[in-house]
Amino acid sequence: MTVSSDTAAQVADLVEAVRRADSALELLQATQALAASAHPDGAACLVEILGFNNPGAAVAAVDGLVAIGTPAVETILTNIDGYNYGARAWAVRALAGIGDVRGLEVLEDALGKDIGPSVRRAAARGLGQLQLESLSEAARSSSLNRCLAVLLDGCRDGEWVVRYAVIVGLEHLARSWFSVLQAPGQASLCQALRQLKDNPEEEAPVVQLRAALALQRLEDVHG
Amino acid sequence: MVAGAADPPISGNGDPISEEEALRRLRLTDDPSAQYYAAWWLGRNRSSNPEAVRLLQEALRQRRARDVGAGVEENAVARNAARALGKLGAAAQPAIEDLLATLEDEDDGLREAAARSLGELKANEAVPALQRRLASGPAVAGAQRSGTPRLQEPCEALLEALGEIGDASPDVLAVIEPFVQHERPLIRSAACRALLQLTQEARWGEQLLALLQHKQLQVRRAALMDLGGVGWRPALPAISATLAENSLKLIALRGLVENQDAGASSQLDAATVAVLEAMDDLL
Repeated sequence: MTVSSDTAAQVADLVEAVRRADSALELLQATQALAASAHPDGAACLVEILGFNNPGAAVAAVDGLVAIGTPAVETILTNIDGYNYGARAWAVRALAGIGDVRGLEVLEDALGKDIGPSVRRAAARGLGQLQLESLSEAARSSSLNRCLAVLLDGCRDGEWVVRYAVIVGLEHLARSWFSVLQAPGQASLCQALRQLKDNPEEEAPVVQLRAALALQRLEDVHG
Repeated sequence: MVAGAADPPISGNGDPISEEEALRRLRLTDDPSAQYYAAWWLGRNRSSNPEAVRLLQEALRQRRARDVGAGVEENAVARNAARALGKLGAAAQPAIEDLLATLEDEDDGLREAAARSLGELKANEAVPALQRRLASGPAVAGAQRSGTPRLQEPCEALLEALGEIGDASPDVLAVIEPFVQHERPLIRSAACRALLQLTQEARWGEQLLALLQHKQLQVRRAALMDLGGVGWRPALPAISATLAENSLKLIALRGLVENQDAGASSQLDAATVAVLEAMDDLL
């Protein structure tokens, strides 16, 4: 696809509008307009907005980055903010939404090591929905095993919302790839969900309910 | 409810400790900062040790008349002790008398902590005192004190406690209702929350939905927590759509799932699945 110079000029105007915004509402509206263009030239500016501590604008910026998709991945990966965990959570969420396999390492690290529960939560969800279709069989199998391993570790996370997100990640992984997983992987995935459902120590009933729902859906498809 | 209202543990003392160690530290009456952390720890970990309740009661009695300008370390310990007792459920029953006495303390921070805990413990005995504290209405109990942004009474906590305890008699409702007109949106939110909890009437929920559209993020956050605290399911789309952090929306939606009548909160019916799916979208 070629991009006309007109469109590029329009995107530059939209970026300029974001820079000029001097109230939260103006920033939100300018971000929404830039996001709606879904133009790769807007990616750098959208990534910057993730660090502005304006949740409304950040939601719109993530939507925009996801709409841009694969062409935004490089920009997101090179601009991950190591110090602002709010911004990092939004960046991880954008990577999760895009599902590009180049994000795997960031998502793995985020779920396993990040101090921010909102970052681990977004990563867990993303690990269940990477787009692995175009990979070779060997590469796909290796990526799948990595996703599964870090999600299984995440079942023991100390925050209920991360355990919840891990369940959603496992459910998505199973929905797309259950039959591709080898038997031990299938077994450990099901066992992890059953443990989350039945864990007497679980403080959050909503986590147990979500695990029950995931198991129910898995059984409906795979018996 | 305002999220994150609890004091963080004192830095440097926030090490992982055992229950035995927490109890030991709570006995150190000459080391308020050790006691402060220990009281917090016992509540956070929902200690079921009978000794915990007894020591927390003692810590609560350690409070002293407020002396402006002097250190208030003991009151900080008492405040954490009051908060911790609220988290200990049935085990804390013997401490209800102490919490009721704390509700009469001059220190409004202590009254606030005691009110919240009495609410968490669903202490019916507290209803008359909570009503009495609020009876003068928004113009007196709800008036701002001079020289501080604080109100005469910790209205938010008192209102919330009445909602949590669940006594829906007409005289309780009559005390709460005027606060729906309070000039501060956070107080309005607390009043609507309590009335929604007590009456299940949609008009109070709708006022909370209106507060989800408020221009201040702080107000939207409070309305989120209040809707979650009540578990009012019709709020689902508005909670998903409001401009606030997903972390808080997720907590509110967890409340929509869990804060239902016993039985209904452990079932995967269509309404529950709808809330879970909305939560999935916020991760």
